[in-house]
Amino acid sequence: MRFNGNVVRSTSSVCPVCLERIDARMVERNGNIYMEKECPRHGAFSTVVWKSGVDYSRWIEGAAPLGEGENLKCPNNCGICPEHRSKTCCVLFEVTERCDLSCGFCFANKSGANDPPIDELRAQMERFIVKGETLLQLSGGEPSMRDDLPDLVKEAKKLGCKYVQLNSNGIRLAEDTEYVRKLAEAGLSFVFMQFDGLNDETYEKLRGRPLFAIKERAIKNCADHNLGVTLVPTVVPRINTDEIGGIISFAIKNSPAVRGVHFQPVTYSGRIPRRPADRDRFTLDELLTQIERQTQGMISIKNILPSRCDHPMCGFHGDFVVQEDGTLYPLSEKNENAQTCCCGHDSLAARNREFVARRWQREPLSNECCLKDNNAAEHDINDMEYFLERVKSHGFTVTAMAFQDAGNLDIERLRMCSLHVFKDGRLVPFCANYLGPLC
Amino acid sequence: MEENRKMICSKCNVALEPARAYFSYLNHSFHTDVLRCPECGQPFIPEELVKDRMAKVEMSLEDK
Repeated sequence: MRFNGNVVRSTSSVCPVCLERIDARMVERNGNIYMEKECPRHGAFSTVVWKSGVDYSRWIEGAAPLGEGENLKCPNNCGICPEHRSKTCCVLFEVTERCDLSCGFCFANKSGANDPPIDELRAQMERFIVKGETLLQLSGGEPSMRDDLPDLVKEAKKLGCKYVQLNSNGIRLAEDTEYVRKLAEAGLSFVFMQFDGLNDETYEKLRGRPLFAIKERAIKNCADHNLGVTLVPTVVPRINTDEIGGIISFAIKNSPAVRGVHFQPVTYSGRIPRRPADRDRFTLDELLTQIERQTQGMISIKNILPSRCDHPMCGFHGDFVVQEDGTLYPLSEKNENAQTCCCGHDSLAARNREFVARRWQREPLSNECCLKDNNAAEHDINDMEYFLERVKSHGFTVTAMAFQDAGNLDIERLRMCSLHVFKDGRLVPFCANYLGPLC
Repeated sequence: MEENRKMICSKCNVALEPARAYFSYLNHSFHTDVLRCPECGQPFIPEELVKDRMAKVEMSLEDK
């Protein structure tokens, strides 16, 4: 295959049509990076993966390139194998096929079938929960379709799950305060709530109905029961890319109830409206650039670090404290001397898990009472004792995860995935689990 | 009571006095109150400060 541009990296991917594994190259052209590949049966494909907002080679430095003969079974037959390079950080567990929305984009794209009984789910959880370690993500479908979800949370905690996270669209959390109370009492740790913007037009386009007021109510109900909420926007070109700064401002205004924002640039797996062109993709560097621009520099790219627990192209994290004047005090900063490669470190997934849990879980209410903002004049963020209290109560993260689809799947990235879906008795990397043809 | 006992500087043989101490780590600076000798300026850094509060500050600033 001839490449139009400068080849900067070699890897393997899949044909977007038949999903057969094929060679791929990262090619630099006009300042952008494209994944280029050719299937003997279905022809050549090109997908933009980086749009020159941030220096690509510096961003990925430390990530080991895919060597010849490495990870040859990926992504077929995928379950975590001895060649996989990351341990499990979080386990995603689908507890229902039902959902009360019908979104234009949905990686899960569920059938609506009847729920598996709780005993069956308990038996499955027994197979993957590691006592005192596991961070379990309850997912679906929409998990809150299950009336017995609080019982499932209890079961997970009984089995030794350290953290239980609920991935939800927030509708039931807004409408059923008793349900929220039961979830909190059952030991739910925090909520990951779909949150695509600040106006109903965005929700109508992405989710099929106006939802902003519902999101606000869900946050309030969770706050009433001391459940931390992290906002999770799916970022889609020409729909909500100009709302990035607004979402961050909203999240800060609602701290400490809201613990941060976790951006997910749109991925084309599961239910999608059409096969994407390059203009339909929103790359990680575009997101970084827009975060800095739309927060007027309050969040600088230098305070956002590439993922270490996964591949740098898979995500990033920025760690902050919300100050009493509503600005962010940055904790994370690019350290040129820091070790950036985590290959082979068993503890990195565990460190990442503890980091996110520390930030996304709220402090017990009794510990926040002395940190009300009405004593602003007395507090100095450089005062060690105040700083330590404020980090705990008003810690705030800006994170992202860029999932892969058949257009941009990179085996170099996939082999470092630490978010694993429990499926048919195996732990499967997220993007391998939801991979489907782009027809 | 332990907290009412005076700390004496072993070098200058005078009582330590409260003073503000500054700590820098990864381009951040924090302060806290410690005891310090008014003569030679030597501060007393209790073990709890090092192993608990300073360690927590360090952990907050280090990449995960």
